[in-house]
Amino acid sequence: MAWRARPGRGGLEGLELGLLLWRVQLQMFINQTVRSRQAGRIAASITGAAVILLAWSWEGFITWLGVQASHRVPVRVDTVHVLSVAFLVYTGVLVFSSLVFSLNALLLNPDLDMLLAAPRPVESVLASRMVVQILRLFLLSLLFTGPALMMLAVVNQNPLIPFAFAMLFLLYPVFVVVIISLISLLLVRIIPVGRGREVLTLFGIALAIGINLANFLLNPALRDPGFGRHPSVAPSLPDIPAASSSWIPSGWAGRSAAAVLSGDWVTAGQWLLLLLAASAAIFAVGSLLSGRLYMAGWIHAVPPRRRHATPRVRRLRGAVPLLSPVLTAVVIKDWRMRTRDLAQLVRFVMPVVFLFIIFGLRFPRLLDAVRSLGDGPPAAMIGLIPAWILLFSLSISLGLSAVSLEGKSIWVYAASPNSTLRLLQAKCWSSALPVASLVAVAALAAEIIIRPGWLWAVTAVVLAIAEAAAVTTLMVGIGAVFARFDWTDARRMMHPAGIFIGMGLFSIVSGVSALLLGISIALAAVTRFPLFTTWLAAMTISVGGAVAIAALGILFGNQRLRGLEVG
Amino acid sequence: MLSTRLLTKRYGSLTAVEDLDLEVGAGELFGFLGPNGAGKTTTIKMLVGLLRPTSGNARVAGVDITAEPEQAKALIGYVPDAATLYDKLSAREFLEFSGDLYHVERRLRDRRIAALLKLFDLQDRGDDFLSGYSRGMRQKVSLASALLHDPQVLFLDEPTVGLDPQSARQMKDILQDFCREGKTVFFSTHILEIAERMCTRLAIINHGRLVAMGSLQDLRHMVGQDGQSLEQIFLELTGSREEDVSGVLRGLES
Repeated sequence: MAWRARPGRGGLEGLELGLLLWRVQLQMFINQTVRSRQAGRIAASITGAAVILLAWSWEGFITWLGVQASHRVPVRVDTVHVLSVAFLVYTGVLVFSSLVFSLNALLLNPDLDMLLAAPRPVESVLASRMVVQILRLFLLSLLFTGPALMMLAVVNQNPLIPFAFAMLFLLYPVFVVVIISLISLLLVRIIPVGRGREVLTLFGIALAIGINLANFLLNPALRDPGFGRHPSVAPSLPDIPAASSSWIPSGWAGRSAAAVLSGDWVTAGQWLLLLLAASAAIFAVGSLLSGRLYMAGWIHAVPPRRRHATPRVRRLRGAVPLLSPVLTAVVIKDWRMRTRDLAQLVRFVMPVVFLFIIFGLRFPRLLDAVRSLGDGPPAAMIGLIPAWILLFSLSISLGLSAVSLEGKSIWVYAASPNSTLRLLQAKCWSSALPVASLVAVAALAAEIIIRPGWLWAVTAVVLAIAEAAAVTTLMVGIGAVFARFDWTDARRMMHPAGIFIGMGLFSIVSGVSALLLGISIALAAVTRFPLFTTWLAAMTISVGGAVAIAALGILFGNQRLRGLEVG
Repeated sequence: MLSTRLLTKRYGSLTAVEDLDLEVGAGELFGFLGPNGAGKTTTIKMLVGLLRPTSGNARVAGVDITAEPEQAKALIGYVPDAATLYDKLSAREFLEFSGDLYHVERRLRDRRIAALLKLFDLQDRGDDFLSGYSRGMRQKVSLASALLHDPQVLFLDEPTVGLDPQSARQMKDILQDFCREGKTVFFSTHILEIAERMCTRLAIINHGRLVAMGSLQDLRHMVGQDGQSLEQIFLELTGSREEDVSGVLRGLES
């Protein structure tokens, strides 16, 4: 190997290569949006830009309101400490996003081999990844805080505020990105080849559960004694005293930012310079170390283990005895794909975990409140809320992705002697069966615990199952209309427009159902019809309407699939 | 067994295949050749019903692939270029799935799967997930899947890419045996040596148009020089020029 590490060289070349990579990414972004020549993409780009402008205007307005309020009601705040805490919290975001980015870059991005084959020092290639990540975080920071900073500049009549904060946003992520990149180089050593996406999914789950648990435990909005708050947690957001220590970067950034806001440019410059020097040093050392780690072979992931199909899973065939062989084949194949791919499996597991966090942790108080309603349809209906949340999540995640689940392998079905309608039938079975089963279990469990009277409980569970099947079928139809066969990544299988329409239709179906059932109770009270009669009539209309909409969805989905060319 | 009449495929202003007329008989091993981007894959995808022709028609064993796609597809086996398979299924599970899609009776299907896995030396890896398979192994699974329902016509798009020499030889033997049973193989390839040795007849397509069709001897007569290799005929008919390549390479050196 002719290359020998020279301190600083890798860092500087990394900077240059990073800017080059950034330019290419920008070109790709432009090509995929405004230069795509596809009306849909251009419209989506314009809509996205309009949404950002709207959000910016709102943020600017809220900032102005906040400044006006602070003038009228002066509040004594330790600005240095508050800003330091904000930077420390931001560090948590940086850690997670850098970890995901670095592992993605090392395990999933196809261009790493091409870059490493180029006549550039390895350290510069690895450093360039850090530069790209830092630039990305920098732009995201500006995207989220830009309008507020501009408003602060206007209100304080100090046009340099946005620039000073921009410098902080550029420098602050450096130490996190470098450290996490080095850790990632070590981590890939224990991740088997081909399991990168699943590992990243695990990180995603950990973050989602962490955020929700933190929200449950720390959110002041949940301090109401009506909710089951953990008694050991103090009734306010925790302070982090060490955040503003002058020995850590959050303290430096906090001091510099506070000085910028108060117009003390000398102090601001001093802390900024310290941050700059530390960032430059850690970037130089980090890029050198990353090269060393690569040369020591740490970048190589663990060879893949041979994964087998277990005999237990093979016995699945007997589990769906009533369907035709083609439908059974697709249902079983989908079940295997969903349960063997962690990213897909998460779609089953996450809603259940969130239900536990939302309802399970507050269970005793919620149960008392519902039981106080006594026997009858209102208690039975309220018992369906967990099942409905589960239905919302599962029908969208499983139903919308059902057709796209075929991915590039869609040719296997398309080349076979079977119609597109049969594929949709199979997808309805493969999605509605698990969704309706899980919803039924949730509804049944809730009704058993609430005990609204067995007749009302049974009708509520039947309603939940029927609506689950109908709504999931509807989502399969929408998923077919917006099918994406280019992605194997579970997160990207669903088209944003499909999600939007699916959520909208779910809300309409749910809202109309609830309204009908409410009307049935009121009608029984007014007309003195037996409540059970009006209730059953409302249920029938509600399920019938959902089935009709689902049939329409399948019709549109089939039209789309019939017009599809695989090639 | 296979015929096309004025088969055409256009994508906007781009004509991928134009007025293609082919006739392939039973028992033929038919090679479909052409440079990159000539329209080979588009033609095959139209013949197996994955793409709809802009105009013209194609028939497989007398069945119109556009008018009666399901009946026609039941007679067809298809091996795509770089087949994407379901990574989270084992080879055996994938073949079971494929057999069910083609309505193969369950016991017959299981017997054939066992035989095909043995034929392709995959019986020891049959229960491994396809995600762990090499490209050549995937190609074998794909061919096994195409043979599973005993089709009348087999379409293969670059079937030998990714195969080691033994496997390529094995595939050649399988295809020849298939044709001896009176069935038809239609395959595209870049490897002219294989086409020269295996095919009973050949067609050459360039810029979406058929430029030649017939036996190797017919093609030699067409270019007017007996004894020429298929490579020379191919280069002549598709207009590729070696001197251009040398000129460009010399230009790069300076």
